[in-house]
Amino acid sequence: MKNLLEHMGIDPGRLHFSWISSAESTKFVEVAKKVTEEAVALKSKEKKYMKTKPKVA
Amino acid sequence: MTSYTDKIREISKRLLKEGKVDMVIGFTRGSVPMMHQPMFAKNQGDVDRFVWDGNCGINLANYVTDRKEKIGIVAKGCDARNLAVHIVENKINRDQLYIIGVPCTGMLDRHKLTASVAGEIESIMEDEAGKTVTISGNGFSETYDRAAVLQENCSLCMHRNPVIYDELIADKVPEQSENDVDRFAAVRKVEEMTPDEKWAYFDDLLSDCIRCYACRNACPLCYCPTCFVDESKPQWVGKSIDPTDIRIFHFLRAYHCAGRCTDCGACVRSCPMGINVRAMTKKLEKDCLENFGWEAGLTTEQRPPLDTYKPDDPEQFIK
Amino acid sequence: MKVIQIDKSELDAGLKKLESAYRLIGPVKEKDYHLFKALTPGQKPDLDYSNTRLSARSILYPQSEVMFTFSLDKNDPQYAILKEPAKDPQPRAVIGIRPCDADAYEVVRRNFDTPEYKDPYWLKNFEATTLVGFACNNPCPTCFCTSAVSGPFSDRNLDILLVDDGNHFLARLSTEKGEKLAELAGWKRPAENADDTIEKMKATAESKMTTTVSTDNLANQSLTDLYEAEEAIWDSEAFACINCGTCTHACPTCWCFDVQDETYGKSGVRMRNWDSCMYPLFTMHASGHNPRDKKIGRVRQRFMHKLKYYVDKYEQGIQCTGCGRCVRLCPVNIDIRRICNKMNSYDPETCSCAVTS
Repeated sequence: MKNLLEHMGIDPGRLHFSWISSAESTKFVEVAKKVTEEAVALKSKEKKYMKTKPKVA
Repeated sequence: MTSYTDKIREISKRLLKEGKVDMVIGFTRGSVPMMHQPMFAKNQGDVDRFVWDGNCGINLANYVTDRKEKIGIVAKGCDARNLAVHIVENKINRDQLYIIGVPCTGMLDRHKLTASVAGEIESIMEDEAGKTVTISGNGFSETYDRAAVLQENCSLCMHRNPVIYDELIADKVPEQSENDVDRFAAVRKVEEMTPDEKWAYFDDLLSDCIRCYACRNACPLCYCPTCFVDESKPQWVGKSIDPTDIRIFHFLRAYHCAGRCTDCGACVRSCPMGINVRAMTKKLEKDCLENFGWEAGLTTEQRPPLDTYKPDDPEQFIK
Repeated sequence: MKVIQIDKSELDAGLKKLESAYRLIGPVKEKDYHLFKALTPGQKPDLDYSNTRLSARSILYPQSEVMFTFSLDKNDPQYAILKEPAKDPQPRAVIGIRPCDADAYEVVRRNFDTPEYKDPYWLKNFEATTLVGFACNNPCPTCFCTSAVSGPFSDRNLDILLVDDGNHFLARLSTEKGEKLAELAGWKRPAENADDTIEKMKATAESKMTTTVSTDNLANQSLTDLYEAEEAIWDSEAFACINCGTCTHACPTCWCFDVQDETYGKSGVRMRNWDSCMYPLFTMHASGHNPRDKKIGRVRQRFMHKLKYYVDKYEQGIQCTGCGRCVRLCPVNIDIRRICNKMNSYDPETCSCAVTS
């Protein structure tokens, strides 16, 4: 799935896969932080992922 | 191809006569060139309508899903692989099927042929040796080398002979190998692009999609009772021709075919706009081969990689 | 009717003059086929085509069309009020529409313009549009317009009919809209004996039609007999059908739509999208019950609507202009010509059709 998403042009920096046990709250916080940081760093390019309002003909 | 046609008729007649099957599924000549129609024969009188040539590109495995009868089915290499997928996924029982195997030399690319001439094609002829194809219409007649006008998936095919069958209608044809063709060249070309280039590539690829769902409906894998795009409670995807929604449809449909797609090309053949939706499924085929050594539909004995777990499955991407 | 002669070199110059008064739309070849597109300034319509891959339906009736916009911001005084968006009022001209597609507008209009209901979106678009048609000198082998409700030179629903006589275009003006457009384009040289030439060319084009369908008996057939003709017609035709929407999306006379609300942050739109009777969702009730839950029912609906219900309701022939697109594009060769002949020839006594292929 990661491969196909990347193949279709999603920035690799936006895709994160982690295995976090329900007991690993600290790991969850760390991963969430890291994911957010990396995504924010890519913010300038985010427009293409957003669905835009249809134009009125 | 007349020998193929004769043989299919002969076997079908025999199966129906002996009561071995309730129906035989094959192709009949379409009312327009390059568009043969899937048909069933329930009595011996109907079998003479069966034909076989390079215009039988629709995947007949799509027509046996959840059927209860005993069925004789004409199956080229990819159809037989999809029958194997169907058997593994419990969409049909092996003992319900009598597979009439057709060693296949590839199907003709109707989009390419249509685009190659300005007028509308009125007739298409293949020579008996299987070397050339001639199309003609008002004011034109063009002859092509057959190999040059095959569907792309057919020219890259490694399994032309049916993998499971009860009877073959002809001697096996030679198979191509990795040495003859580079089947993932187009995938690698996209892999080498930057994310923005990839995005633009798929934007352009899908720009003409009209959401008719012919690709999905021609696909033997797409047998869900309700497709995720048709769900209304809740509704997952928008219904307009918004590019984001179109991309979500194609992406998710492709992903649902991961490890199951045999690259039969029925999706591309069916598309009224000629969109190469295989650009997505081919990538999954490559990944399945590289990561799991798996090709779909070659066996009914083994579970596919995406519904099994092995301790050594690749997981480098999980952090 | 007035016929003027336009030299081939004058056509583009005339279109150039029209750019300020009209939004021009015409056939354009982008990938391997022609589609109707809005022409950019200076872009010429590509008239070297037999027909566009998809019909001209979307020009008046886009596949996705915004009907209303609304705000979801509770602080907005206009919160949750549906408002019709302002549309570009500029007149448009379609250059090179085929007669079958223009005649399809007449068919669609029967549904969108009735004494009880008027569809404002379609009608506004229709009124703003001038249709410059392009006669078919060489009908395609899959065309059967002469036995449907159209013809290769039919200008019943055109403002101008362009005929390519080899050396120049003959333009037959049939409405005020057409005359106005010709005047703005500067096309005014009267053509001599043009009516004769056009009639002759029309006869030649019609003689080239290779397929016909019989529709004469459809109105006489009993609706329930046809509906129940499962063995003779519907079972075998529905078998191959994959239930995609290719036929309905390519069709110039299909008019069904589905209304959807979509939201984007604090605002949203109500839009309508083409729907297709081939899709199971088309008839899905809110209760979860689906009265047309099988493929055979959906296939039957499409043909019964076009060739029986419409015929009985409007008494204006079939809901088909014979453009042949569904015949060309159906991936599994469900051919409306064959089904029409079957329905026309169905004999309820013997439960069989005189025509089977």
